Amino acid sequence: MFKHILLPTDGSVLSEGAIRKGVHLAKSMKAKITGISVMPEQKYYLYQTDIIVQVKEETVKQHRMQVNRNLAFIEKAAKEAGVPCETFCDSCDYPYEAIIRVAEKRACDLIMMASHGQRGIKGLLLGSETQKVLTHSKIPVLVVR
Amino acid sequence: MFKHILLPTDGSELSEKAIQEGIRLAQSLGAKVTGLCIMPEKHPFFYETEIPAEALEQIAKQTKEAGKAYLSVIEKKAREAGLACEVVYEVTDYVYEAIIRVADRMGCDLIMMASHGRRGVKAFIIGSETQKVLTHSKIPVLVFR
Repeated sequence: MFKHILLPTDGSVLSEGAIRKGVHLAKSMKAKITGISVMPEQKYYLYQTDIIVQVKEETVKQHRMQVNRNLAFIEKAAKEAGVPCETFCDSCDYPYEAIIRVAEKRACDLIMMASHGQRGIKGLLLGSETQKVLTHSKIPVLVVR
Repeated sequence: MFKHILLPTDGSELSEKAIQEGIRLAQSLGAKVTGLCIMPEKHPFFYETEIPAEALEQIAKQTKEAGKAYLSVIEKKAREAGLACEVVYEVTDYVYEAIIRVADRMGCDLIMMASHGRRGVKAFIIGSETQKVLTHSKIPVLVFR
């Protein structure tokens, strides 16, 4: 039924669980997957002029490495299962916007994500980005615990 | 991957659409479905003691008939799709609790529901019962728009 599943990841243990389930679902429906990891744009640096440019470069480098690790996890899981897979890195301070934008642009018909991400379950019954994707997405969202 | 999908319905147009999609998903996965209809226990009139007992009985009867009619929609669609299907009718004022309880009791591994139900999209970005199921369910929830 679903032909193209979007799997967003923030590299958290919970999102890795959702990726495994997503790959499994894609395999059982012969769907393809698109992985996406969103990197903060950190526009706020603009306001903190005392922060040295070098620090910013270093942070961006760290983020890029993290994003590449996150996407490599999806690629590996997909390859092992024999599921066609593409991955994207996007820069945006609002991950949910990037998730929905990529889902639409790539014509995905399902977004599958964990109930919580990096920030875990501290204080929140449903993760904030998951909540925002659920609120704004026009395509179905499968929330995995 | 998913073997048993729970399809809660409140008879609304949006939940019928989710049922339609749920049946399609079950078909593509070779899963069985369980339809669930939950109707309110206490009618608001209950507190108005001058309402004759027969009227209350009449209301309960009509409520049950409506619930059975909603479930027969699921049964019919499942039969047409050649799926194994059971239906559960429950009377309670705590809808999300009942959805989670029935999913657990029937051994469902996915709950599929519309983003909104009977109360529609007025004032709510995501339906209140859907939100509560998402918050409290231990099993995956697929939200349809």
